[in-house]
Amino acid sequence: MNFCVCIKQVPDVSAPIQVRDGELVMDAGRVVLNAYDASAVEEALVLTEQHGGEVEVLLIGPERATETIRKALAMGAARGTHLVVPEGTELDSAAVSKLLADHLGGSTYDVIATGKQAQDTDSGLAGAMLAERLGRPYATNAVGLAIDGDTLIVTRQGDAGQEIIALPKPCLVTCSNDMNDPRIPKLKGVMAAKKKPIETVAVSDVPSTSVRVLRYESVPARDPGETIDGEPSEQAAEVVRRLHEASVL
Amino acid sequence: MPSILSFVALSNGQPTRASLEVLTRCRQLAAQHGHDLAAVVLAPDPSAAADAAQQYGAATVYTVADSSFENALNTPMLGALDAVIEQAQPAVVAFPSTEGVKDILGALAVRTGGAVIADVAEFEIKDGGVEALRPVMAAKFLARTRAEGNPVLISVRSGSYVAEEAPVAGTVEAMAFTSSEAKQTLREVVASVTGGVDLSDARVVVAAGRGVKDDEGKRLVEELAEVTGAAIGASRAVVETGMFPATAQIGQTGKVVSPEVYFAVGVSGAIQHVAGMSNSRIIVAVNNNADAPIFDVATYGIVGDLYQVLPALIAEIKNANGTT
Repeated sequence: MNFCVCIKQVPDVSAPIQVRDGELVMDAGRVVLNAYDASAVEEALVLTEQHGGEVEVLLIGPERATETIRKALAMGAARGTHLVVPEGTELDSAAVSKLLADHLGGSTYDVIATGKQAQDTDSGLAGAMLAERLGRPYATNAVGLAIDGDTLIVTRQGDAGQEIIALPKPCLVTCSNDMNDPRIPKLKGVMAAKKKPIETVAVSDVPSTSVRVLRYESVPARDPGETIDGEPSEQAAEVVRRLHEASVL
Repeated sequence: MPSILSFVALSNGQPTRASLEVLTRCRQLAAQHGHDLAAVVLAPDPSAAADAAQQYGAATVYTVADSSFENALNTPMLGALDAVIEQAQPAVVAFPSTEGVKDILGALAVRTGGAVIADVAEFEIKDGGVEALRPVMAAKFLARTRAEGNPVLISVRSGSYVAEEAPVAGTVEAMAFTSSEAKQTLREVVASVTGGVDLSDARVVVAAGRGVKDDEGKRLVEELAEVTGAAIGASRAVVETGMFPATAQIGQTGKVVSPEVYFAVGVSGAIQHVAGMSNSRIIVAVNNNADAPIFDVATYGIVGDLYQVLPALIAEIKNANGTT
């Protein structure tokens, strides 16, 4: 099966971030391949290694985001496409899925895969939006994928348990990072990635957005906690006394 | 008159607590803005949940009865919700943020031509749009976000509002379900055993972290859950060891919980985990590392060996239960 994996470059959320005048300030400026997308790339590579086929990646982002496509190529993807938007372009999930659908309409990939959400916005909307625009059957929050003939078998984490869903190709799936540990590219892969083709497409018509961030705010601090000292029996007695006082046990 | 439509998710045929929280918030907004309040229930047998929705103020309850709603498959849910929205013409549609809802929300926004904000901690109707506060960047920050559309779809994190009854004598509008072209098929549901208490709805949660290393630690977690009537949760690290099922995972990639009491047992408190539990009213943390970040959010911190502290806690709670 042939896979197209939609990937995103995101800020490294573990790097220091501040909020200043309603804007996020990331002085370190570190950016990474969205971890959920990395799991989608990994799973597509494993499945094509086992069953044949090819993995391509597709990214929307400013010019500097090319490095994230190279990362996926170094992992083993065959080629990439970069839909280039101007630096600082604000896209909501609907606009992202529209640009992806415009590009992917009529394409014959058996499976379109992507992360279940982006690490920075945590919206988790674009995958299902893209499936709806393309008219593909889909499943979200996959924790396992397998191929059975012309069918993609998705194990998804649902509310009450794991649901095993059969999707006929062509289909779309969004992946959890609980699915696998994405490979760290080896030097050979990094060198090979430099020679792999990346097609760049300038986005001339950026869709208007119906959802926008007005401002960012700090999370209100919780009331400072209290350390309960003493021997385990004393600590236990004190905590249980407080919980009873609060009428929660 | 414009209306607000509130989606009611079910567990064992009854609305989940999170659904009633969302319905309560919608009722407040409807009163404030002079809107009608409606609810929608999709279930094999929606009658009990439709009654419950009226107890929480839904003047109209749209029901769609079909066995396919037993499991949250996206194709039938999408078709049914699109039809109800077409019928009800709501300005705002609000959902509890369950995995079933996350599965369809984006597609439903495209299908209805509406705008959508996912996973909010607060929302209000303002100047003809919806404004919401939602955690971003692994819940390190909040984004005040505005959506304009017709309708605006919104999903709400559990524990964001308090459910309050306000009974009305409403009407139930049963809608026919025309089964659509389901291309996907459900082969199996592997239900996980989490001790019977639904994690997202639990008043008390006992969560295990990496400090829980063996069967004895797991047994202590289970016993603490039993004596407190708690649901059992877990950090990603301990789910990966296979000791606890993935359905128990709490955090950015797992479930969001907001119980009255959260026992964090051997949980270090990585930001991804805290993102899923920081709305808890009281957090009791037990960890042998005094520098563990979980103590930054804990209401009561116990620095100590969980293998000594948990038996003491269990004995103390049993004792208190016996005497009160």
